[in-house]
Amino acid sequence: MISATDRISQFAEALHAAQGEIAYLDSWDELWDFAASLGDDVPVVSPAAHGFLRRGELPDADDPLRSIADRLVGITVAALGVAETGSLLLIERAPIDRAVSLLTRHLIVAVGQDDIVDDLADGFRWLADQPRAAAYATFVTGPSRTADIERSLTIGVQGPSRLTAAVLT
Amino acid sequence: MIADFKERYERAVSDPDLRPRLLAFQRSWRQSRDAQVARLEQRTERSFDDLRRDFAAVKDSTIERLDDYIDEFRANAEAAGATVVELTTAEEAVEYIAGVCTARGIDLVVKSKSMVSEEIELNDELAERGITAIETDLGEWLLQLAEQRPSHLVMPAIHQKRQYVADILGKELGREFDPDNIPAMVASAREGLRRHYLAAGAGLTGANALVAETGSIMVVTNEGNMRLATSLPDVHFVTAGIEKLIPSWADAERQLQLLPRSATAQTLSTYTTCITGAQPGKEMHIILLDNGRREMRGDDMIGAALRCIRCGACANVCPPYQVVGGHTFGHIYTGAIGLVNTTFHHSIEDAAGPQGLCVSCGACETVCPVAIPLPRQILNVRRRATESGHAPRWERWLLRAWSMPQLFRAAMKLGAVASTAARAVGLVHRDHIRLPMSRRLSWRSVPAIPAQTGSDLIGDRRPQPTLASTPAAGTTVDLFAQCLANRLMPDTVDASARLIEAGGANVNLPPNQHCCGLPAFDAGDWDTARTMARSSIEVLGRTDHEIVTPATSCVISMRDHWPQLFRDEPDTLSRANAVADRIHDLAAWLDGPGRLPDGCLERRVSGSWTAHRFCQSSNRNDPGARIDLLVERLTGETSLPLEEPEVCCGFGGLTSIAAPEVGQGILERKLDCVAASGCETLLTNNPGCALHLRAGAVARGASHDTQHYADYLAARLPDNPPS
Ligand code: SF4
Repeated sequence: MISATDRISQFAEALHAAQGEIAYLDSWDELWDFAASLGDDVPVVSPAAHGFLRRGELPDADDPLRSIADRLVGITVAALGVAETGSLLLIERAPIDRAVSLLTRHLIVAVGQDDIVDDLADGFRWLADQPRAAAYATFVTGPSRTADIERSLTIGVQGPSRLTAAVLT
Repeated sequence: MIADFKERYERAVSDPDLRPRLLAFQRSWRQSRDAQVARLEQRTERSFDDLRRDFAAVKDSTIERLDDYIDEFRANAEAAGATVVELTTAEEAVEYIAGVCTARGIDLVVKSKSMVSEEIELNDELAERGITAIETDLGEWLLQLAEQRPSHLVMPAIHQKRQYVADILGKELGREFDPDNIPAMVASAREGLRRHYLAAGAGLTGANALVAETGSIMVVTNEGNMRLATSLPDVHFVTAGIEKLIPSWADAERQLQLLPRSATAQTLSTYTTCITGAQPGKEMHIILLDNGRREMRGDDMIGAALRCIRCGACANVCPPYQVVGGHTFGHIYTGAIGLVNTTFHHSIEDAAGPQGLCVSCGACETVCPVAIPLPRQILNVRRRATESGHAPRWERWLLRAWSMPQLFRAAMKLGAVASTAARAVGLVHRDHIRLPMSRRLSWRSVPAIPAQTGSDLIGDRRPQPTLASTPAAGTTVDLFAQCLANRLMPDTVDASARLIEAGGANVNLPPNQHCCGLPAFDAGDWDTARTMARSSIEVLGRTDHEIVTPATSCVISMRDHWPQLFRDEPDTLSRANAVADRIHDLAAWLDGPGRLPDGCLERRVSGSWTAHRFCQSSNRNDPGARIDLLVERLTGETSLPLEEPEVCCGFGGLTSIAAPEVGQGILERKLDCVAASGCETLLTNNPGCALHLRAGAVARGASHDTQHYADYLAARLPDNPPS
């Protein structure tokens, strides 16, 4: 076991290595202000994040993906953060849960500072204990990327091109 | 249709950009991967070897009880609403997918990367049935637009140049692309693929693992396309080999410690997606494919190849892969693993072509995250290819001739006479004959054959006085001169004898020595190899002395190949083992039973030499592999650093004859590193490599001298040792 502070700094370091960003925020209100400051657009919000924020635009239930494709800022919530890898575990059973993390340009993922675990093994232990969560669970580690053209690393392909972990303190 | 091997080879060696691009790729991968592995070792406080052995054991035990795990997986996945089918052949898999599509009226499938779908050539097959499959991984999409196949397991379009990519994207999207603006080309995937996601009736993915305890699939990706392909369409197909089963999520985590680090040198890929069962209102069809895997499982030489997690690392360290790329070094599966599994997923004909490209350097096994004995498996497949008539005829004749000591000696004697004549008329330069050579061969010169053999020299001289008393002092040691060294490097044979004698032992040269069988074994011609090995067992079996040789490769041959050759001949096997138990590599001898004391040899100039360590023994960490440390210890001199010390020199036995461009390409990589070291002398251990390195250096006019370390050390023996 490592201390909570060490865990958060490890998390931040690993996330940076994966080209992700980090913001330490006190509350959901602060998170909203942070997201709103990023663009003129109203942030789109996943159903899970909406449960906490109670504002922002939800994807359209009938056609969730099309309704928010390429919107500038999206907010969702992670079940866990993983210090070892800088990953965020998203539990997104239905397409409507996934729309925001799939298709917005700058994705903000809220994670409680106490929800950061030491390593990936802890993450998978958690998953093994939550059979329903594994219906569609993704460890997201930084923004989407490719090196398929001449091995040149390019950030932002078909998923988000910026990813910020919003650690709620 | 895949072009035949010859055509693929010609195309690869005439592409001037391929080699430098793959070289840069291999070097940068190596650096980042090594750093990742070092961090992993530090974090887990376990060695890479321990970690990979643990996970290999998980894979082995799962594959052993495969049917139980398949049942468990099926029950759990079906309880979660998926349909699981186990299919035997590629055709069945294609028919199943096409059948579901037809029944649902689906004519467009978006695909995330899946090697199994490549294996069954799904896109072409579906097209014939009126169903369009669109690749959505950027690299795979670029290949599809260019009507090409992946040339690497994880970097499928590594062979494409940016100019070429700009061209094909321009054609597809109807506007111009600047080849130097890679981000813009990458961004075009979003625009080019979006409409397909929206229109597709089905999405298809592979699976990096199938988790039995929950019936889940785990898929590792970077671009985000896989999540789109499984979120928009209503039907999700999963194509996976049955070997992808693992028992639990804990094992999935073990796999992830090794996979992204070995594949793309990432700690973790961007998306690790775990899916259990069909999503609400959707269908999930999981196709578990056999297609030769059960046959592999039943094959005791090949079974371990089923551990493969398709990371591509074996290609990333492969010297011939760097020269020719994956379209040539492999079939649909590329790299070392492709040389093995193609036989089972496709055919021995498809596997036969590239067999001769492998130089048996053993680099692949050192990085394989599941410790597959790839070099051994490749030699085994090569044997099958040779025995089913897929080896070039000249190779068989050459080896037959080699296996006959009289013929070999007569040919060499003739060569020696010709060399003396050439020397007389001034055709010999730096001990190599200047001949008009074809373009394909001009990178190497031909060594002049000395008039005297190693055995001649040993017979005619006074023994070296004892320099230090070693554990072997007073004993008699048999010297195995090796066929090549005896004829082409007689001084090395003499030098070896003197170094042994300096430790107080007597040297005996058993008469009628010839060849251990290595060249034939390497070429897959086991019958000829057995003939050669039998004669060496006979010649070396007459005494019970310890045996020492300056030929590192022959030690490996005796210890490793002989047991394979005589598996079914218990009598020969026990005699072979008795000889192999007594054989020592000279360098190991000088550190072991014949250990000469530190600094006992004359110290001349420090920092003027570097060492190329024979790749095979170096990659296996065999005793004696670190000749650089030995020379430093005995002389007190220091070695110059050499980049990529473990990379092969390109000799590779018959490879440098059968595929000269491969021998040349690897040799140039090595000689560039040697030149960069700034050395005056290059030391090496294996005679074949010494000859290859020297011939290449002379041909390119390099200023450094190439020596077997025995020659270097023997030249530093004092004339009058202290009494
Ligand atoms: S054989 Fe080993 S190194 Fe090669 S792709 Fe498979 S797991 Fe990776």
